[in-house]
Amino acid sequence: MTTTSGPAGTTVLAPRPAQPPTSGQPAGRPDVMTRRLAKLGWLFSAPALVVIGIVTIFPIVFSVVMSFSDVQVSGNGFSLGKLTTANYSAVLQSGRWQHDLIFTVVYTAVTVVAELVLGTAIALVLERLGAARGWMMALLLIPWSMITVISAQLWRYIYDGTYGVADALLRPVLGFAPNFLGQPTLSVVSMMVADTWKTTPFVAIIVLAGLVMLPQEIYEAAEVDGAGGWATFWRITFPLLRPTLALAVLFRVLQAFGLFDLPFVLTSGGPGYATESLALLGYQVMFTNLDFGTGAAVATSTAALVLVGCMVFLKVFRAQVAEDRG
Amino acid sequence: MSGRLAKRRGWRRVVNGVNLASLLVAVFVSAPLYWLVSASLKSPVEIGATPPTAYPHPVTLTNFRQAFLHYGFGRYLLNSVVVSLASTVLVLALGILAGYALGRFPMRGKLPVLMGLLMISVFPAIAVISPLYLIMREIGWLNSYQALILPYTAFNLPFAIWILRNYFIGIPPEMEEVGRLDGASPLRTLWSIILPQARPGIFTAAVFTFTACWTEFLMAVSFNSANGYRTIAVGIALFGSAFVVPYGTIFAASVAAVLPIAILVLVFRRSVVSGLTAGAVKG
Repeated sequence: MTTTSGPAGTTVLAPRPAQPPTSGQPAGRPDVMTRRLAKLGWLFSAPALVVIGIVTIFPIVFSVVMSFSDVQVSGNGFSLGKLTTANYSAVLQSGRWQHDLIFTVVYTAVTVVAELVLGTAIALVLERLGAARGWMMALLLIPWSMITVISAQLWRYIYDGTYGVADALLRPVLGFAPNFLGQPTLSVVSMMVADTWKTTPFVAIIVLAGLVMLPQEIYEAAEVDGAGGWATFWRITFPLLRPTLALAVLFRVLQAFGLFDLPFVLTSGGPGYATESLALLGYQVMFTNLDFGTGAAVATSTAALVLVGCMVFLKVFRAQVAEDRG
Repeated sequence: MSGRLAKRRGWRRVVNGVNLASLLVAVFVSAPLYWLVSASLKSPVEIGATPPTAYPHPVTLTNFRQAFLHYGFGRYLLNSVVVSLASTVLVLALGILAGYALGRFPMRGKLPVLMGLLMISVFPAIAVISPLYLIMREIGWLNSYQALILPYTAFNLPFAIWILRNYFIGIPPEMEEVGRLDGASPLRTLWSIILPQARPGIFTAAVFTFTACWTEFLMAVSFNSANGYRTIAVGIALFGSAFVVPYGTIFAASVAAVLPIAILVLVFRRSVVSGLTAGAVKG
């Protein structure tokens, strides 16, 4: 069930060169035909591109403008006011933003690394599993498809100080009951555990699909050469799996950096600001303080950081792949 | 496939590292799920019991009655269904047209368009919340179905277009010849000849879009926080107060929200896996 049947297996990161639409068009007038088809193509794409443009590109530009404006919101509308960099200086100088930035970066790094290691380990185990693999895949898909808010409520109940099951299970072992969501450092760890539970399956499924596609002959050769399991993994599996892992990392980093649903329900960003992410801060500034200019500055800087991070990652990754090949 | 895996004999066929590790994974994944379902079936008193009870005794449906008869979680579910279905239909309609064109037609400058779509699909939603909120407030769209349907459509289109385009590329070009020789219009050819071939891709795009809409929270809580228009995610997140969290009701509603999507994902699990790996595996 892990084989990618058919053309969905084409890569997203490196698009195939476009194919000619019809191979056997009449020899005499390819230009007219091509031009007609091109026109038709744009006509077909127009509705989707217009909707995407209106709802994503326009607001992104608008958000940048707002972040540089003295936005005033009143009962019946809003005005942008004069151009200013006050929003950004307010954001950059605030200790809360600096804390949230560090928290979001650390949280992203730790959860992504943990999920990658665990997910790869799970995939390696499941690859060796026989008939039960289909069932395991099905089980793994459930946390992935779950509303994050629901898993947050569930973990809040598990971590509860009086009737939580984590308390009841750990108290006899440790001799005391950890204050899972009340103590700053521990609340961050607790949230990471909840996140890992929900998202590791996603990584495991991607890695497993990548594993299944690897050529078997190489492994047979390695066996003949007498390579052990550990050496085989680091010398063969890991390098071959690198594109798959890179994609999983990219997806997860983007998702983790926009962290919002989980702290919104599980901790409300607390205790204090211990688990407040940049997205949660942006939301609070906008909808609790009703300060849309500053909120836009938080949101825009977050988005900019994500984009820069992705570009650096892709550049490093490409360079590495080129190095491996050349 | 198991050429490099040593054959195991006797009791080692059952008790071995792989099976034990798999069992551990299964327990790690399913224990919280069990706790969710079990809590939803406990009485309100039993939910708050210390130490917690291992299984509901007696099993009761009080929480489900509370959630759906007393607190309008049925309405929240309905809102989620309306918004997710409408968005999925729109994404498919627009995404099929665009994916087909971008996959098959000799359009100049389609590579920048495709790259742009990829960039947009990774853009954090928080960046567009404030302008969208202010615009929707201006035109009176806050707390309405379209306040979510339009953004959900736009944000899920890029991924759907990519998935569908990959499927369309894989269909042999001769198929279009057939349509053209019959004198069918391009739209007609797409509908009756190409679409049936691309069915797996359409399933994948549909399941992903629906799941994404069903689970979305940030936009839903920002634009539709009024009681009548809350989606199930918002309803579950905002239920209760800072001091009282009625977990029984919350978990009953949660089970009702998890079940349909879990069934959908399990039924279409081939599509889901192929979608998850669409970018990961080289063709």
